[in-house]
Amino acid sequence: MRETAISQTNSPFKHSISRYFAIVLLSILLVSVTANAQEYRSGWDVVNSGVTSDLFSVEGEGEEIWAFGENGIVLGSQNSGATWTQMESMGPSNLSMSDSGFGAFLAAGRDGTVIIKIDSGSQWEDISFDAGEEDIRGVSLNGNSSVVIVGSNGSIWKYDSGSWSDYSISGVDLLDVSFLDSERGIAVGEEGAILFSDDGGATWDYRDAPSEASSSRIIDVEFYSDIRAYAITDMGEVMKSSREISTPVGFLWNMQYFESEGGSSNLGVNLTSIEVATTNKFLLSGTEGYLSMSKDGGNIVNRQMIPLDNLTAFNDIAMLDGFRGIAVGSNGSILITERAGEDEQVGFEVRDFSEFGNFVDYSKGMLIDGLFATLNIVLFGIFLGFFLGVTLSMMKTSPTTLKEVAQKRSLILVRLFGAVSFIVGFMFLDHLIPIIEGLGLNGWEYIYAPIGIINPGGITGDLQFENFAYLILGVSLLLLGGLFISANGKYKKSELEIFGRTVIWNPWGVRPLNFIATIYTDIFRNTPLIVQFLFIHFGVQIGALIGDPLAEMLDGSTGLITSFLRDDVLSNRACVSAIFALGLNSGAYQCETIRGAIAAIPSGQMEAGRSIGLNYMQTMRLVIMPQAIRICIPPMGNEMVNLVLNSSLAMVIGYSELTRKAKLINAVTFQVFWSYGMVLISYFIVTWTLALILRYLENKTRIPGLGISGGN
Amino acid sequence: MESVLSIVDMHKMYAGGVHAVRGVSFDVKEGESVAIIGSSGSGKSTVLRCINRLIEPTEGEVMLRGEMINTPNADINDVRSRIGMVFQSFELFAHLRVIDNITLGLRHVRKMSRKEAQAEALEVLEKVDMLDRKDAFPGNLSGGQKQRVAIARALAMKPEVMLFDEPTSALDPELIGSVLKTIRGLADEGMTMIVVTHEIGFARDVADRVIYMDKGVVAESGESSIIDNPQTERLKKFLSSISEED
Repeated sequence: MRETAISQTNSPFKHSISRYFAIVLLSILLVSVTANAQEYRSGWDVVNSGVTSDLFSVEGEGEEIWAFGENGIVLGSQNSGATWTQMESMGPSNLSMSDSGFGAFLAAGRDGTVIIKIDSGSQWEDISFDAGEEDIRGVSLNGNSSVVIVGSNGSIWKYDSGSWSDYSISGVDLLDVSFLDSERGIAVGEEGAILFSDDGGATWDYRDAPSEASSSRIIDVEFYSDIRAYAITDMGEVMKSSREISTPVGFLWNMQYFESEGGSSNLGVNLTSIEVATTNKFLLSGTEGYLSMSKDGGNIVNRQMIPLDNLTAFNDIAMLDGFRGIAVGSNGSILITERAGEDEQVGFEVRDFSEFGNFVDYSKGMLIDGLFATLNIVLFGIFLGFFLGVTLSMMKTSPTTLKEVAQKRSLILVRLFGAVSFIVGFMFLDHLIPIIEGLGLNGWEYIYAPIGIINPGGITGDLQFENFAYLILGVSLLLLGGLFISANGKYKKSELEIFGRTVIWNPWGVRPLNFIATIYTDIFRNTPLIVQFLFIHFGVQIGALIGDPLAEMLDGSTGLITSFLRDDVLSNRACVSAIFALGLNSGAYQCETIRGAIAAIPSGQMEAGRSIGLNYMQTMRLVIMPQAIRICIPPMGNEMVNLVLNSSLAMVIGYSELTRKAKLINAVTFQVFWSYGMVLISYFIVTWTLALILRYLENKTRIPGLGISGGN
Repeated sequence: MESVLSIVDMHKMYAGGVHAVRGVSFDVKEGESVAIIGSSGSGKSTVLRCINRLIEPTEGEVMLRGEMINTPNADINDVRSRIGMVFQSFELFAHLRVIDNITLGLRHVRKMSRKEAQAEALEVLEKVDMLDRKDAFPGNLSGGQKQRVAIARALAMKPEVMLFDEPTSALDPELIGSVLKTIRGLADEGMTMIVVTHEIGFARDVADRVIYMDKGVVAESGESSIIDNPQTERLKKFLSSISEED
């Protein structure tokens, strides 16, 4: 008897897959035609300073502005910087730092020259002192005629009611100081030093810099208000401190990650100063013509055009209010602005976003960016999820029971192992007991203990995952040990009488790998994905934990893939968190899908594999999995589409994917229907393409005679 | 003659409390073909599966060439590769072509190179007369062809003993002949084998010895002539019930 075989080519994938890729690539190219360039001019204007010496520092209060520079140059302006007059030189020293406030102006040089102008009516007055060997680097007024000065080797001097007193500490080179009022001040310096004083500068306490800046030179600090302080490093990093619920400003410092720099914490420029205009609006100056401004506390920092060449080094900025400001720099450069330096559009016209063409023209670039960001986390998420799913499903279907493990060993060995694991488990738990007691919980509150033992110190403490491992291992080893000690060589189940009912008690039937996998999937399938996103990103901070070390490992590598991984994936913390949240969650669901497919394979296939001498893992890998994966392509397609759609939740952790872009587009254009509608279409294209590919794969990998598929 | 396989006082109690095998003992000598017959539920398939431990016997010993194989310490994968098994429902690997079904064990258990394994596979396919369908998928084969491929798959491992678990029960009557012919060929070549079967005629013609099982015990065993000349009432009854069906 003979039938005709359905003809099978050797590699059914070859042609059509590449065709699919070509179509996808082409459509991406078609959509991604770049938006037309627009003309801008600088928001800064050049003012004639009358000098060509370098200017180092500038201060302004109301209409009155003072700039200081080389060789004791002092320039004054009484009309918001429009015209300047040079004062008599205050001596040969460079006046490299200054401060204003409490109605007074102050400038100082690195050798101990200090001049002060107590109010608008009075004259500049020399209050210099002998700084000895020390290098003066920062000054701050903390009263109308009260000054704090910091410098090398922890030198701190205070000028009050006409005399200088020395409050030096030792060991740290200080670079700047800033007082909010007469009491509270922050000093910063080399090696990530941040100090805080709340007694007007007499005593100082160390504060922790963000770990990323623990060895940086913090060169400028601005104690802006009760709720916000900023500091910068010379390498282009910005850190900020905010008031947390019960913690005053100045205690907790966080690195600012710039969304405009792809999530990096480094602006890639040498900064010279920061000037805070409002709580969330600040300007930065730097060498090589760098001026920039952020309106949202540093998420987006826009470099500004300048009307000078890029050789100008800007040394300081003074803002008179939220919009008017002065920047000074090398060769007597003075710039003023009335729009916080923001670039101005030439021939400015309000774009009419009520016209759909204009709207699409404006938003398509952002949508494409968002699409790539989404694809980024989706692809890595799928890989991670699939890997986890396969591993977990194999664990879940593993047949090895405790009975089988124990039966292979002699009874003595089993009991010995039981005793050892019981003791180790007990030691682990014993180690935890004081920690748990220290949490101060009562009654049912103990369900939250796992969180407490991982992070007993709260936000200022480190995460101690080892404690969680102690808990899990301790409980498991204790139970396992108890069971193994009680072994009598029979490994039989027993029947217990509980409240008159017969309950079958069969601890030897527990499958350990299955148990572990079940705990994992239960946790991830019984908690909301959005909470997982928030917990993984803000709680665990997996970006800092895993992304940063990996990015460091790839440091300096120039390969196409490795540099992409480093710059676009690993160093973007939100991206790493999103990948992990999606992957870990999807892994739990994919596990169940694959497990279902494994269960659908006739048990005879396992028997057949084993009967020719393949071991369990070989049979799984060579016989069961290849068939199971084919069966589960349709439900896996669902999982993957779900993963793409779930990726929109990454917006809650500030990852700029499609949905977040839609929100941003809407914020600019106010076209609600169009903004979200376009995103809807973009998602549909991605998931539908994915579904088509999967449908195609399903057809191509279909095995004759396996399963009911309708077609064939 | 040396005994290849001996089973001593085998018991199997299933989890549900069914006592399927109650003390079965027999020997299989080198080159001998043994047929196990009996009605459904008599425990004959269970005995077969206990031999290569697809099912763990509850009690008793299984010895392969004098070596006890049903202890937790025996290398079960090695033991299984020395015992060929053919299933009632073929159990070909549906995702692999005929030739790859056969080379799988050779490559991953016998650690042969792909080339060696394919040469070996072609040889056994020739033997079962399936050479011309070597690139087909199992789904495109008829039942008889599938079973012959399954026999080839077991043969390729060069087993010391072959176990056939009702090899023709799932086949249409007109397809049975080709499979039985193949098995008969093997027996003639001197392959040691145990065949669980409902084909009484086949048992009579091919088997050197027949074991009749009933309710988990060996009710009667002896030369294949016992089929024509049953000694016990139970076997007589069984044989007559079968001829009535025919």
